[in-house]
Amino acid sequence: MKIVSRTGPLSLLHAFMDATRSRAVVDGAVARRERPIGLYVLETGGCEGCFMEIESLNGSAFALEQAGFVCVSDPADADWLLLTGAVTRVCAEMVDRVWRAMPPGRSLIAVGACAVDGGPFPAGYATLGGLQALTPMRRSIAGCPPSPEDILRALQELAQA
Amino acid sequence: MIGMGRIIRSGERVALSHYHLDAEQWSAMLSAPGATLPLMSCWADDGRAYVLLLEGDRPLLASTSVEDRRYLAPSSRFAGAEWGERVAYDLYGVEAMDARGNGAPALDEGGWTSTWPLSSRPGPAAGGLRPLAGSHLLRPEQTGLSGPLEFSFDVLKGKIRNVDVCAGGAHRGVVSRLLGRTPEEAMPLVSRMTAGGFVAHPLAFARAVAQARGLIPGAGIRDVWMALLEIERVSLHLFDMARTARGVDAELLATHCDHAREAIARACAEQGVSRRLMDMVSCDGFREGLEIVPLAQAVHAAMQPRLAALEELHRVFAPRLDGFAVLDARLAERFAVGGVTGRASGRSMDMRRREAGMRLEALRATGSSQGDARAREGLRLAEIRDSLKLLERILGSIGLEDDEPAPDRTEEGIGVAEGARGDVWYWLRLKNGRIENLYVRDPGVALLPVLGAMLRGYPVSRVPAALGSIGLSPAGIAL
Ligand code: SF4
Repeated sequence: MKIVSRTGPLSLLHAFMDATRSRAVVDGAVARRERPIGLYVLETGGCEGCFMEIESLNGSAFALEQAGFVCVSDPADADWLLLTGAVTRVCAEMVDRVWRAMPPGRSLIAVGACAVDGGPFPAGYATLGGLQALTPMRRSIAGCPPSPEDILRALQELAQA
Repeated sequence: MIGMGRIIRSGERVALSHYHLDAEQWSAMLSAPGATLPLMSCWADDGRAYVLLLEGDRPLLASTSVEDRRYLAPSSRFAGAEWGERVAYDLYGVEAMDARGNGAPALDEGGWTSTWPLSSRPGPAAGGLRPLAGSHLLRPEQTGLSGPLEFSFDVLKGKIRNVDVCAGGAHRGVVSRLLGRTPEEAMPLVSRMTAGGFVAHPLAFARAVAQARGLIPGAGIRDVWMALLEIERVSLHLFDMARTARGVDAELLATHCDHAREAIARACAEQGVSRRLMDMVSCDGFREGLEIVPLAQAVHAAMQPRLAALEELHRVFAPRLDGFAVLDARLAERFAVGGVTGRASGRSMDMRRREAGMRLEALRATGSSQGDARAREGLRLAEIRDSLKLLERILGSIGLEDDEPAPDRTEEGIGVAEGARGDVWYWLRLKNGRIENLYVRDPGVALLPVLGAMLRGYPVSRVPAALGSIGLSPAGIAL
C-alpha cells in the first residue's frame, strides 16, 4: 500500500486512491455465480474473536465481494448463516429466530472452535457447547480464531463443493 | 470525622490491599462522611460481599460476610454497584438489602439449567426465557456490537427516555470454569475472555497471580508485557475507530483503519505470533520464542507511516461526530468510566501511569474532553501516536531495572492492566496452588449505568452507532 504523507485537500484524493488500490485481491479462480452468496453473521457467546475476524474480512482490507460473497444485515437476504461462539442457552432462541427468517436453501456454517464444539466453553449451565452437539454438522471452519484469509478460503471451498 | 479509607483500614487486613469488615464497619463505610472513594467494582458470592475502590491510584478492597444470603447493599452509597449486585443475585442468589434500581436480572434471562448456578444451594431451572420489560427492544443481533447484548428502552415520541440492558446471551459461566484450576491451567481460558483484551485480560490476571505468590516480574518481562499491551491498544483503537467511522458513513476513514489494523496483524503473523496476540502472556512471563524487539519494530514500521493519513481523514470526518453520544464529565467520574471513553469525558485516570518502569514521557495524549464521539475518536488517534512513542522508548531501554519491592506472599492478589478499552481488574485467592475464588472486571461494566444518559433523546436507530463509538464488549461484560 502506498502511504499518504501529504496534507491538505489533495491528500484526500490520494487517500481515496490508496484505499481502492490497496484492496486485497482474491487468489485463484472465482466461480461465476449469478449473484453473490449472502452471509449473515451471528455471535452466540464466544470471546468475539471469530466475529471480529469476519468483520475484518468484510472490511476494506479483503475482497469479500470480489470473491462472490456479500454480508447482509437482514436474515431474509441471507443464503448462509455464519455462526461464531459457543451457543449459550439464551442465544438458542436467537439462532432459531434468525434461521427461520432465512429463505429456503439456507446453510449453517460454524466458524471457529467455539461454534463447532464449544471450544474453551463446552456445555455448562449457561452454554450448549457448540453446534456439533445440536445438529448434524457438515460445514465448519476450524481455528481459534481462524484468520480472515482462512475464512475466505474455506467459504470459497464450500461454495465450490 | 473518620473518612471512608480509614474506616476500611480499621478492619482486619488479610492481604496487601484487602480488609475484612464486620457488619458494623461495613455499614459505617457505606455511610461514611466526606468523599466517596471511586468504586471500581462490586461483587458477592455465597460467603462474602466485596467492593473494590480506588484511593488515589491504589486499589483498596473491602469485604464483609454474607449472612442468610443477604448483605447491606453497596449501591446504597456507590451508584455503580448496582450491576454487580444484580449479577451476584443471578449467580449466587445472595440479596443486596436497600439496593438501588429495579433488581432486574443482569445475566439470568431464564433458560439456564439451574437458578443461582454458582451457589452452594442452587435452585431448580426457571424454564423458558423471561421477556424483558420496556416498550422497545433492540435484539442482540441488531446492536452492531460483536456479541449478544439485549437492550430494552422506554421511548416517548420516538426518543429514548430510559435504557435497560441484559447480558445473559453472552454469559458463558467463565468464573465457574476457572475455579479449582491452577493459574497455569486457567491461563488459556483467561486469554479468551474477550477479543477486546487478548493481552489486557491475561496480563491483569498474571499480575494478580504474581502478587498472590509474592513475586515481582523482572524488568524484562515487565517491558515485554508493556509492549504487547501497546500493540494491542493500537490494533483495537483502529478497530473501534473504523466502527465509529462507519456509524457516520465515513467509509474512507474506516477503510484506512482497516488497512492499518490488517498491516499490524500481518506484522505479528510474520514474526511468528498470533495475529491478535492471543496466548502471548503467561503467568510468569510470555510465550516461549516471542522476540519482542523485532515484533515491536515491525508493528511500529507498519503503523507509523499511516498516521498522517489517518489524522488528515479524521480532521475531515470528525464534524460528523460532533456532539454525538455525549458522556457527561460528572457521570464519568461518578461511575469511574475508564479508558478512552472516560478520558474523553475529562476523567484523567490511566492505570499505566502507576506502573513501575513506565516511560511516562511517552504518555502525552490530551485532547478534547467534550465527552462526545468526536472527542473519543480524536483521543484514540492521539493514543496510537503515544503507543508508538512508548514502543520506541521501551525498545531504547528494554529491561531497565526498577527497584520495586516484592509483596509478601498472601495467596491473594489484585492485578490491573490498562487495556485499549479501559482498566481490566482481576482479584483472586489461591488455596493449595489452585484458584479458590476469582473476580474479573471488564471496563465495559462501568459503561452500563451511563448508557441511559448517553442515549437519551436519540431514536433507537442511532443506538448501534453510539455503541460502536464507546467500544463495548458483551463477552467482557457478561463473562
Ligand atoms: S473459537 Fe476462539 S477466537 Fe473464536 S470465539 Fe471461540 S475462543 Fe474466541
